[in-house]
Amino acid sequence: MIKKRISVDSATSVVYPLAFGIIIVLMWQSGMLHKILKTDEYILPYPTRIFQIISENSDKISQNAASSVFVTVTGLVLGSILGYLAAIGATVSPRFGKGGLTVISAFNAIPIVAMAPVIMNWTKDISSKAEIRSTVAKIIVVTLMCMASMSINAHRGLNELKPFSLDLMKSYAADKKTVFLKLRLPNSIPYVFTALKVSVPASVITALVSEYFAEYRAGVGRQIRENILIAQYATAWAYIAVACLIGIILFVLLLMAESIFLRKRRSH
Amino acid sequence: MEKLKKLANTKYFMTIMWILILVALWEVFAIIVSHTKRTPENILPHLSGIIESVFSRRTVNGDQTAVKMVMVNAAATLSRAGIGYVVGIVSGFALALLMSLWKPIEKIAFPYLMLIQMIPILGMAPIINALTGDINKSRIVIAAILTFYPVATNTLAGFKSVQKEKHELMYSYAAGKIRIYTKMMIPSCIPYFFTGLKISAPMAITASILVDTLQGGIGLGCLLSQALKGAMTRYVFWQIVFFSAIIGILSFSIMGLLEYIICPYKRTQKN
Repeated sequence: MIKKRISVDSATSVVYPLAFGIIIVLMWQSGMLHKILKTDEYILPYPTRIFQIISENSDKISQNAASSVFVTVTGLVLGSILGYLAAIGATVSPRFGKGGLTVISAFNAIPIVAMAPVIMNWTKDISSKAEIRSTVAKIIVVTLMCMASMSINAHRGLNELKPFSLDLMKSYAADKKTVFLKLRLPNSIPYVFTALKVSVPASVITALVSEYFAEYRAGVGRQIRENILIAQYATAWAYIAVACLIGIILFVLLLMAESIFLRKRRSH
Repeated sequence: MEKLKKLANTKYFMTIMWILILVALWEVFAIIVSHTKRTPENILPHLSGIIESVFSRRTVNGDQTAVKMVMVNAAATLSRAGIGYVVGIVSGFALALLMSLWKPIEKIAFPYLMLIQMIPILGMAPIINALTGDINKSRIVIAAILTFYPVATNTLAGFKSVQKEKHELMYSYAAGKIRIYTKMMIPSCIPYFFTGLKISAPMAITASILVDTLQGGIGLGCLLSQALKGAMTRYVFWQIVFFSAIIGILSFSIMGLLEYIICPYKRTQKN
């Protein structure tokens, strides 16, 4: 009886949202959504039209998508590593480091629109090629945005240890390096994933927005904007669909990585 | 001497130290830039130059000084960000409440709340502008969407965090639904609710500035892109950069302060 109820419960939690999504898509395709939003099929094209455009322009779209994904992932990796190193620094010398973490976390509150043009300005001399210097500038912006959440979460992970575990390490006469490798580092892994869950979507957004200010025209975000400026709404929607897809795929990859890393942990 | 040592040990002192280090670094680079570049104020002006431009009485555009122009545009941007923020908070809280009251709604909405987190809404700003047809409306809509989902997910997490024992206690009191929510559920979700507010406050401001850059008219973002193109002195650009950074940080800390005032029980927990 109980088993049956659980299966009904899990079935409805799949069926309900799926039905809702199908209703929305049907309304969109049949033009009801246009009436509700008071718009026409020119600004809000039908889903079939968007898919048609994606398949027709797959070369150009995948080129821009590759540029955005490259910026996102590189910035994410660099920012997370730097943030983790900052957290280690703050753990090693807490007196000096904690103030530094406060300053880093303030970076998180700075709007991307203020930061992106400044970084673009600063990186003008890096290369004579517009493509390279724009890419570098975008990566720096994403790096700065990802650093804050990683450093704060990792710092908590390195320091919020299980009660008495530090005392146990002391009674083993473990040196600082061993304490770090055997206790602090493993303890911080779940916190690292908490940070990544914030910074993966944030880095996608940052990459797309910093493309607006870049000198070189490349990337999904820039294409959305350019196509709207020339009133190619259907093409813009195709790029929006791609942007959503990038965000979802990166997040699902993160969830998969998390389940692999944390499964080992649970079995201990 | 003893007192000085104590002062040096506080967290605030170290934060100030770091800020001073950053300022020093900025100035060092500004000096290098001013010797090597033709237009140093475009790349890295001295901080003193920016501060001076804030207080200067020279008119930049018509009869407006630089700082007045920034303020007028900031008021337009921030008021719309504020409206969107409030709309987002109210609808986010309402959805979380509905989700906790009625299971099917939670089942329908929860996957979409997860999905919306992965979608770059800010990248969709141009199309929302085209959909609403009005730049003011789209600014409010985007700020509202960006506020909506952190508030909804965090508040829902707050409702779910109430321990089973508390539910059982309320059940033994034969408390009604309204009683349960006003006395137990809503007070215990407030800290989570504030987490959502703190996340979304800088986001709402960023969104509002970004939407400005899409179209002409009044607004900080619009002024920013004009100044970048060289329509007026570059110091307007730097003022906007610093102003929006300060506003972003302030909005976060104002929410923290509000939480401190509204949730006195959280204060004792920390100590």
